[in-house]
Amino acid sequence: MEAAPVVTLINKRRSEIVVRWKEYMEERKDSSSIIDGRTIETTNDNFVDLIFDYLADNQSQDRLNNLMGRILALGWPLSYLTNGVHIFRRVVSTLIIESEMEKAVILDYFKAMEDLLDPIFNNLIEDATSTWENTVSIQKRALMELSAPLIPVMEYLAVMPLIGTIDTERAKLIMENLLEGVIAYRTEVVLIDITGVPVVDTMVAHHIIQAAEAVRLVGSECVLVGIRPEIAQTIVNLGIELGEFPTKSTLKKGIEYALELTNRAIVYKDKPSGLRL
Amino acid sequence: MRIPILKLYNYLLTTIQVELDDQTAIQFQDDLLNKIHETGAIGVVIDLTSVEIIDSYIAKILGDVVNMSELLGAKVVLTGIRPAVALTLIDLGIRLKGVPTALDLEQGIEKLRQELGE
Amino acid sequence: MNIAPNRVEIHNEWDIVRARQSGRERAKELGFGHVDQARIATAISELARNIYLYAKHGEIIISVIDGEKRGISIIAEDNGPGIRDLRKAMEDGYTTSGGLGAGLPGVKRLMDDFDIVSEEGQGTKITAKKYLR
Ligand SMILES: Nc1ncnc2c1ncn2[C@@H]1O[C@H](COP(=O)(O)OP(=O)(O)OP(=O)(O)O)[C@@H](O)[C@H]1O
Ligand SMILES: [Mg+2]
Repeated sequence: MEAAPVVTLINKRRSEIVVRWKEYMEERKDSSSIIDGRTIETTNDNFVDLIFDYLADNQSQDRLNNLMGRILALGWPLSYLTNGVHIFRRVVSTLIIESEMEKAVILDYFKAMEDLLDPIFNNLIEDATSTWENTVSIQKRALMELSAPLIPVMEYLAVMPLIGTIDTERAKLIMENLLEGVIAYRTEVVLIDITGVPVVDTMVAHHIIQAAEAVRLVGSECVLVGIRPEIAQTIVNLGIELGEFPTKSTLKKGIEYALELTNRAIVYKDKPSGLRL
Repeated sequence: MRIPILKLYNYLLTTIQVELDDQTAIQFQDDLLNKIHETGAIGVVIDLTSVEIIDSYIAKILGDVVNMSELLGAKVVLTGIRPAVALTLIDLGIRLKGVPTALDLEQGIEKLRQELGE
Repeated sequence: MNIAPNRVEIHNEWDIVRARQSGRERAKELGFGHVDQARIATAISELARNIYLYAKHGEIIISVIDGEKRGISIIAEDNGPGIRDLRKAMEDGYTTSGGLGAGLPGVKRLMDDFDIVSEEGQGTKITAKKYLR
């Protein structure tokens, strides 16, 4: 493909474009104030070089992907990048207008310029969004996995503190973590602590009951702890059947109960022997 | 395929090591009930650690075995149900209510002792 | 990866085991976690057993869903007696064979998508799908 006249124009006036572009960028600096002065100097150089590289090379899709890869890899704010492309467009527009060519020719130049720069702009937005969406979904998943750890407290006893809202997807992960943990630590009793669950509706209760039932199937036992008064009220008002699972108001009471279940007790050393909690 | 059933004092212990197809499961039901009858065992531990899948049919057979054994005077504890199996049973709506469970064979025997007050 | 559908004909009890084993393998290749592998294998076991029990023979077709969402699709098809009351058949505990009545409602919960078409005297076709998370 032969280079479009506008590309020839851009390449011929390169140094001029760069100077003007940088001036504009300088004016807009506060919008990208995250980057400090020295970095911005080199950053701007790199960025505008990348655009010229792309234009010089017949603007193939490959080159464009390559350009996006390199630009995004630099990790600059999207606002700075889109701004840069906008300003580039403005500088080139000005050049075209100043050239005092015929109106029809100017329009052709404009159209050619748009065809040139639009893909950069669109790809930039697309790639950035998909990278961003990716990151969000990875983080969401990581959060889901992290937020339901099974903590072995002592031999045969573990606590699973539930924090935040429990939807169906999260409930599945929680159950898997819970059961794998029970097996790994040979846990006889698991305390599920719902202090950190803001709302317990029928749905959440259903998930918790299922978890407790699954725990029983693998051969361990569940005690539900951290029941606040308002949760007790909702449970009764909604007519939720907790099944045969024991509940305790606090983690401490739950631990005492669990010890009792496994024929153990806390014995204080400095008290007369045999005094049990 | 027959699943071996071991006698230990007045308990029977059995570890299911094969993929449970229908024939094997039915055969196992027969064998276990006969063995309880023969030996007068009062407790049974069925260890399922190696079982990778329990569908509704096999679950029914297991539940039936537990109830039938009880009629013959033997308490049954199921042990070693895997997490993945437990989760599929929950999805199937199967809770094995009233069937005692334990983490492994050893704790299963312990559980029998407690349940039988030995 | 081989993405040609895998067909398993169901004529006897052994075919049930073959079908679920092949489904588990396919699910593993696709990258399903081991809990989902068990869910998929169990769903196949339920569907294959229903074919064997109620229609005598039929087919399980396991294929890869290679679209926007990747996953596995299970089709259970037979030309048996069909199901007269689908609503009832989907209820927990409904059985005509002294089973637990857990199969069909269970498959629906084990999988992400569930579709059943059945005509009395014509047969039954069930499609169940599960997607990678
Ligand atoms: N392929 C089929 N053809 C004809 N009838 C069927 C078919 N699949 C299921 N049914 C009918 O639907 C009912 C419910 O099926 P479902 O699998 O839920 O329970 P079940 O097979 O009776 O017991 P379980 O699956 O718990 O062992 C069956 O009892 C049977 O009457
Ligand atoms: Mg069935």
